[in-house]
Amino acid sequence: MLIRMGGWRLAYFILHFVVLYYILFRPSVRRKCGYYLSHRFPGERTARRLLSSYRLSLELGKVLIDRAIVGILGVDRISASFNNLDILNGLISERKGVIFLISHVGSWQVALSALHLLKIPFNMVIHREEGDVDRHYFEHRSMERPYRIIDPEGFLGGTLEMIEVLKRGEALCIMGDRLFGNLKNTLSVRFLGENALFPFSAMKIASTSGAPVVVLFPYKESTTGYGVKLAKVIRVPEGLGRSGDHFLPYIEEYVRALEDFTIEYPFQFFNFYDMWKK
Amino acid sequence: MSRDYPFLIEQRGLDLMNLNEELKKIIVKDLFLEDITWDQIKDDAPLFGEGLGLDSLDAVELVVIIQKHFNVEIKDMDEGRIAFQSINSLASFIKERQSS
Repeated sequence: MLIRMGGWRLAYFILHFVVLYYILFRPSVRRKCGYYLSHRFPGERTARRLLSSYRLSLELGKVLIDRAIVGILGVDRISASFNNLDILNGLISERKGVIFLISHVGSWQVALSALHLLKIPFNMVIHREEGDVDRHYFEHRSMERPYRIIDPEGFLGGTLEMIEVLKRGEALCIMGDRLFGNLKNTLSVRFLGENALFPFSAMKIASTSGAPVVVLFPYKESTTGYGVKLAKVIRVPEGLGRSGDHFLPYIEEYVRALEDFTIEYPFQFFNFYDMWKK
Repeated sequence: MSRDYPFLIEQRGLDLMNLNEELKKIIVKDLFLEDITWDQIKDDAPLFGEGLGLDSLDAVELVVIIQKHFNVEIKDMDEGRIAFQSINSLASFIKERQSS
């Protein structure tokens, strides 16, 4: 209702007060921001940290509003630019599928709207839990789902489905910075000064299927505009075997790119859990 | 009914037994399983989870292994659901695909 009547201006205006309330009166919100901020800005004092928590939460709020705007007012209300379509079309023509390794930055849903020009089906590996407050933009009104969802909690972690879609030459989007279930399939890599766990399943699937791994970072560049940065194309050799150690160099490539992104856009990294927990 | 019928049953049983053994050896070798030998793997134990202890990423590897050694493709999740229950079910799946 708010977005329909007042558009993004009114929604953004009210957002400032909502975020201020949460930062001042909800310690759990400050704590969740602190996991990342204490690593990104290790020397910050209390007042400065409060300001950083506010900025980080505000950016997240804007992304959620943008997503709702796309769903309620239409995809043309937010522009998304991507300058590397020729590179991606080249990778698609190899007919091994493409793995898009995405992260909790910017808005991957808006990024997908920039990638519709690729004209291949998209498959997202995501797990929705009861209590998740965010909604996909197409859920705001009865729109056709623009991508197929593969549940990592499904049969054999959805891995057979993932291989299946790559064999058909489709796109597979996997979150590179979020763990699901088995810690066995993770590697410890230095991220923002301390070791954190990252899943290597995307690299393993790339090694099995021969699909290239494309590291994408969608970021908010203006009030109504997003950019999508193609940070890296990672080629994982086939037949690397079972041990996670073989995938370490490729995960490190991804983590370095993610770290570079957080340096360039410090308030657009939205992973609000303790990645560094021992 | 041909008098060869019981022999065929026996032959098919023997083939499956050999295939089971071959599968176990291949799985241990190609998946680099270190804490188990092929003869410790039970024919009817689940491959994933509490049985042999393989995980979802091993399933990806197993698809490739089966194709490489037996030229049998596990095309989708439905086939995987049937084939990946145990050594017995995997052997039956391979046998069926090879004979069709």
